[in-house]
Amino acid sequence: MHIEHIDEHFNNRNVTELDSNYYLVGIEDYPSDNWGRFKRVVKRSLRGELFVGLWVVMREMIRFDIHTVQYPEEKMPIGPRYRAIHQMKRLWESDTERCIGCGLCEKICISNCIRIDTKLDVNSRKEVSEYSINLGRCIFCGYCAEVCPELAITHGGEYENASDQREHFTMYQDMLTPLDMMRAGTQVEFEGFGSITPHEDERVKKTPLAY
Amino acid sequence: MNKLINFKIDGISVEAQKGETILTVARKNGIYIPTMCYISKTSPCASCRMCVVEAEGVEGFILSCNTPPTEGVQITTNTDALQNERTNIMKLYDVNHPLECGVCDKSGECDLQNKTLEFNVERQNFSARDQHRPLQHWGLIDYEPSLCIMCEKCVHVCNEVIGDDAIEVKFGGYSSTIIPKNSETLDCTFCGECIAVCPVGALTSSGFKYRANAWELERVPSTCAHCSAGCPLEYETRHASLNGADEIFRVKNNFEFTSLCGAGRFGFDFDNRALKNENAFNKAIEALKNAKAIRFSSMITNEEAHILELLKNKLGVKLFNEDARVYAEFMRSYSSISSKLHHSGSLDAIKQSDAAIVIGSRIATDNPAVRYALTTASKHNGAKILYAHPLEDVLMQNVITQMMKYEVGTEEGVMALLAHSILKDIDLDEDERAFFDELDFGYLYAETNIGEEEFSQMIKSFSRAKKRTLIIGNDLIAHERSCNIAKLAALIEKYSDFSLVIVPRDVNTLGVSLINSLDMDEEISGVVGYNAKGDFVISSLDGADLAAPALNQQEGTFVNIDNRVLPTNVALAFNGYNLNDIANALGITNRNTIDYTQELNKNVGFKPVAFDDLENFLSPLGEECRGYILDEVICSAEGKLEELDDMPEFNGTIIYHCDPVLQFNNYTYKTTQLPKESFLVGSAQFSVAAKISDGDIVEISYADTKIQRIFRVDSELKGTIALNPTFDISVDASRYRFEKSKIKRVIHE
Repeated sequence: MHIEHIDEHFNNRNVTELDSNYYLVGIEDYPSDNWGRFKRVVKRSLRGELFVGLWVVMREMIRFDIHTVQYPEEKMPIGPRYRAIHQMKRLWESDTERCIGCGLCEKICISNCIRIDTKLDVNSRKEVSEYSINLGRCIFCGYCAEVCPELAITHGGEYENASDQREHFTMYQDMLTPLDMMRAGTQVEFEGFGSITPHEDERVKKTPLAY
Repeated sequence: MNKLINFKIDGISVEAQKGETILTVARKNGIYIPTMCYISKTSPCASCRMCVVEAEGVEGFILSCNTPPTEGVQITTNTDALQNERTNIMKLYDVNHPLECGVCDKSGECDLQNKTLEFNVERQNFSARDQHRPLQHWGLIDYEPSLCIMCEKCVHVCNEVIGDDAIEVKFGGYSSTIIPKNSETLDCTFCGECIAVCPVGALTSSGFKYRANAWELERVPSTCAHCSAGCPLEYETRHASLNGADEIFRVKNNFEFTSLCGAGRFGFDFDNRALKNENAFNKAIEALKNAKAIRFSSMITNEEAHILELLKNKLGVKLFNEDARVYAEFMRSYSSISSKLHHSGSLDAIKQSDAAIVIGSRIATDNPAVRYALTTASKHNGAKILYAHPLEDVLMQNVITQMMKYEVGTEEGVMALLAHSILKDIDLDEDERAFFDELDFGYLYAETNIGEEEFSQMIKSFSRAKKRTLIIGNDLIAHERSCNIAKLAALIEKYSDFSLVIVPRDVNTLGVSLINSLDMDEEISGVVGYNAKGDFVISSLDGADLAAPALNQQEGTFVNIDNRVLPTNVALAFNGYNLNDIANALGITNRNTIDYTQELNKNVGFKPVAFDDLENFLSPLGEECRGYILDEVICSAEGKLEELDDMPEFNGTIIYHCDPVLQFNNYTYKTTQLPKESFLVGSAQFSVAAKISDGDIVEISYADTKIQRIFRVDSELKGTIALNPTFDISVDASRYRFEKSKIKRVIHE
């Protein structure tokens, strides 16, 4: 409800309408002559605006009406489409990795921070042998997640990636959903652009098979 | 003769030459007709039926790829019915095609992908029973039957252009596949041309499989640096692994019009990695200042050869390059009769010829491009091909129409007899006629071991040919009597309609022979070797005192067998010093090596064209827009034929220096994918004569060289001459390739 209210509030931007929530702030013209400038200095110095601010702080302190988030003890919930450190997802059906090694994320990356190496594995399938993202370069634009045809790479909510090095890499295994999470069924599906819409299964047509 | 056929395609008036099909004329005029199986360099497969068109007055559709137009006919290429037909074909192609574009090696450059999108095939409405068709490993080539769309391009190319004829279609309706011909697994020269032409990901390079995608690779158009054919190719590079430097991932070619052998396609990682080593550089400068001579190989660019020539003048050193020196001598004798500097033929001339003589070369391994050109001529023009050599070659079996087996060492006699029979009825100079009249035919026929009837058979089979080519190999160039042989070759070219192709030994033998004034090699001290042995070695091979860039790491030009000056490009960066840096330090200053491209000697046919103005591509219709062809240079012709020498006799155990397929030199030896077995190979007869058996370690001694090799019996070989590979050793290029040798079995205690 709160969000809806804000939406309406900001969507009506027609300032000329009388019932608009917008109003013009009365800003005085800048003084053009030296006398005017002198008067402004005196006015500003003696009006005690400083104490107005101090009073507000004092008042809120006494009231104990504090909105500050006590980070890191307290953390705000992150929106599902927030773009923090990447995650590599597994398939729900088989727990195997979704990434097929197509290399599109590497190609599209505008800060050139993704590197991927693939090879033919023992089962004659394409295997991702190396995958790294240089978080020191990553600008978290989300192109990699957007281009991924398999919804394999997505952004997660983990934003605490401070490091004592400029070059801070994250490897494939660190981003991959752990198997125990799969078993517990707690892999979080990405809900942003390109994700599967609800009731997708009903829309899928099966390939005709002769047997 | 060449009457043009006028007709209309989609209302546009077009002209066709005799032999052209509707499709080729349409393409020439920029009219689009979709195809799946058509490939310009082979005869039409006619398996896809995508190229259907309608002709006025003809019921039903006709295939534009194999139908020649008739005068005044009106062709329509695009109607609803045609579009419907083509869409249906595409739907059939897509049946059960695995939806693995995301991982497929071909994705992004796949004909099936493109056409499926073009015809908007969104869903599959019918199906066939799917079968288990596992991936097959055929050495350097992988075959994935489930992706194969049976366009038959690979089979046609293998048979018509390459000549291996190693694969065929196993017909069986929906279960048709490509199978190795007459063999369990693929047994061929592994040119990889089937990989190149495959429109889908069915045939792939096993070394490249799943390592990178088409869209990740950077393409560097260049020229192959393994033999003198100078085939066009593209190196495709990308960084390797997570923090790795750039690497060449694969080589591609414009398969529509050109071919590439396996060494070019799979042997690309001969680059030299080095950093600037100032110490070694200073030593090199010191060595050059004190040098008496520079010995170098022909695996260098024209610009480097030019720098070496400048160094020769500046430092007063001698230049040794035996390979180019014997070639230059051969060409000098040739010019003294033909009165021009360059031979007239080219690979294209071979392709178009309907009669050809190959003499003095095991051509299939010496220069595969010539072999492919001969195969094309044989399959498309029904060319008669005479192969004259002391050894039969199984690889040429499908192509040659007449084998002329002569005795080792008698090349001069063979050439004299050839010239005699070709020029029999032609007006010659008095001197020249006298030369032929004085020939002792009885002696020649006896010594060369060729019967008179073989020559008359040749003349008979060549009688109806219009375009004829004479191909001269290295056995003749490095022959003791090469001067007279060259004159005889020039005589044939001068007085008959034969065009002449002389096959240079190495990548840039021709260029070096034109640019450098070479001295006879001597065994002296104080020799600096550039890609060759010496007291101080500057080389792109291993074990050098100062590292130099390999040919895929520098800009420059080569002169190939067509007398074409071809640009080569930097596929991989080289971080060390190059020859130009050395020249700069010695006071011959130019900022870049390629600044010398326009300064190359104009007197021998080079043009004043800057490197950056050299093109390197093939037009959509297949015209070669690559570099330029050397200007023809006229010179005085005062040469006279010499009397024939006595034919030398080669008795005992003879070996022939000859590399196996896919190997050419020390550079191909460096690459990872190419097979590197270097066996002495001989026939069963040879093993009996030399008293050695299969698998023995033998010591081969010839001239003053001794090497150890394992002996292998090859059931396809005949006769008493064994083949000794040279790609892993250094050989004296000026020596005749047949050697009398001693072969001893080595017994390990």
